[in-house]
Amino acid sequence: MSLHTAEHDSAERITAGHVTAEQGPAGPVKIGIRGVGKTFRIRGSDRPFTAVEGIDLDVREGEFLTLVGPSGCGKSTLLDLIAGLTAPTTGQILIDGRAVDGPGLDRGIVFQQYALFPWRTALANIEFGLEAKAVPKRERRERARHYLELVGLSGFEQRYPHELSGGMRQRVAIARSLAFDPDVLLMDEPFAALDAQTRESLQEELLRIWEKTNKTVVFITHGIDEAVYLGQRVAVMTSRPGRIKQVLDIEFDSREGDLRADPGFGEYRHHIWTLLRDEVAAAQEQERTVG
Amino acid sequence: MADDTTLTVPHPAPDSAAPAPAAPARRKEPAQPERTAETAAVGPAGPPRGDVPTADDKATNFFRVAGKRRPPVAARLLAVVNRSLALVLLAGIWEALPRIGAVDAVFVPPLSEILAAWYDLLLSGQLLEHFQASLIRSLSGFGMAILLAIPLGLAIGWYRPVAEFLSPVLELFRNTSAVALLPVFILIFGLGETSKIVFVFYACAWPILLNTVSGVRTVEPLLIKSARSMGLGPVRLFQKVILPAAVPTIFTGIRLAGAYSILVLIFAEMVGAKAGLGYLIQDTQFNFRIPDMYAGIITISALGLLFNLLLLSVERRFSTWRTT
Repeated sequence: MSLHTAEHDSAERITAGHVTAEQGPAGPVKIGIRGVGKTFRIRGSDRPFTAVEGIDLDVREGEFLTLVGPSGCGKSTLLDLIAGLTAPTTGQILIDGRAVDGPGLDRGIVFQQYALFPWRTALANIEFGLEAKAVPKRERRERARHYLELVGLSGFEQRYPHELSGGMRQRVAIARSLAFDPDVLLMDEPFAALDAQTRESLQEELLRIWEKTNKTVVFITHGIDEAVYLGQRVAVMTSRPGRIKQVLDIEFDSREGDLRADPGFGEYRHHIWTLLRDEVAAAQEQERTVG
Repeated sequence: MADDTTLTVPHPAPDSAAPAPAAPARRKEPAQPERTAETAAVGPAGPPRGDVPTADDKATNFFRVAGKRRPPVAARLLAVVNRSLALVLLAGIWEALPRIGAVDAVFVPPLSEILAAWYDLLLSGQLLEHFQASLIRSLSGFGMAILLAIPLGLAIGWYRPVAEFLSPVLELFRNTSAVALLPVFILIFGLGETSKIVFVFYACAWPILLNTVSGVRTVEPLLIKSARSMGLGPVRLFQKVILPAAVPTIFTGIRLAGAYSILVLIFAEMVGAKAGLGYLIQDTQFNFRIPDMYAGIITISALGLLFNLLLLSVERRFSTWRTT
């Protein structure tokens, strides 16, 4: 499977381990994160809780960016901010140069726990976003069928979520987010609850769908392998308060065969592992003291 | 976190997964007991294979494992026999004990006599009259409770200020027994139909109200978040997420209320009424028409059972998606 388009290849030919600035090298900026910080007030404490701080990051149009960091580093907070579900305390987030002021159908989210509506069939779940978009019923049905087919679940239209396996539920959730045709797909550890085989097959399929649909993807994970396998760039976050520690370009000569066995893959993963090691220790220390 | 930073052993390419017929055998491999159908359904947009496990398949597998592939009709018949066995046994004991003189046949007549008395009551039209009186009262009170308690419960569950304003009063009233308030209702509404209907309404409103509130409050926050992320405003969110998610819990309240509606009505009819099943029981007892009294009691049980069955079937229609 050839992942990178020729255009990307020429723009991104950077040797393994080389670290670029936060600014992506080419393409129009889709998501601009400018000096973003988020603090929460927590009950029974005077000290505000800083989830993320001073985040600067640009995601280019059509790019697949993975975001990796220790648990509790504010990855999900950052995703909520991009989604417009919460407002940043400082800085701002731009989509196509316009400041985000709330959730919208230009961004679709895929959650780790699927978040499917249990009273709706697979097909009706996919139609949900289209209903919000006021798409006529007939077209809704057609588009829902199309996206169910895209995720390889034709024939499961009338199944309720509880009648589907975890991997199938996540496919439906992905189809639901794709169906209303957002420019940006935000994925919050979507495969973390799945077993290893299912996860790998879904990773592969996600890349196939991404190639086909040209979405801008921001994919959160705490798995280094997953980050390297999926991302064109990997943003590594620090422990709380979360900042961007480094952004790595991921480039392989070929994605044929077992990519995970590629020596380049090992180099990337070791590099990120080294970056994360101290952060993980710091995060664990934090958990103990806050505990 | 530490686990995730260690390199996992590379898996064989998913494409090399065994073909369909070998699927059951794969499950037996000790190394990969949790292998799911996902592994097989990899190919680009390939249609899912037929061997994906579903609830139905599991059921049939269960029968296969048991070694007996019983035709469903026979299995269901057996279940019916199994369930009615205890009832038949109870009827037999009821018939036998008075006849052998173990209990006084005057106070506990044999079942056959009671059924005969029931039949006579039915033919004379008396039973229908009392049945109708009770049914109208309980349905009126129950219906009013549904119409008022559900919207109120939705409002309390959804709007925090409403909940904070009303909760002390609600807390006070829900802990006041409906039965204790019957004299109050009679004082205010008189001995006629109104006091009885209000009484039933009061008793039914609580389970419906409280279940509706909790149904709205306990909607999975992730579902709300997911719907919000798709740009749903408060009204659509309520209509498309909160309400359908709360339906099963609301129905639990409705079924409880259905049982209460008959329970408390009988009590009200025994205290003061000129018709109704509760009145029938009280009256026949005073006049020493013991078999008629039992006939009235049996009718009440049947009415309660009928009510519950009806509500259950409505509930099933509304929540086919539930696992059970």
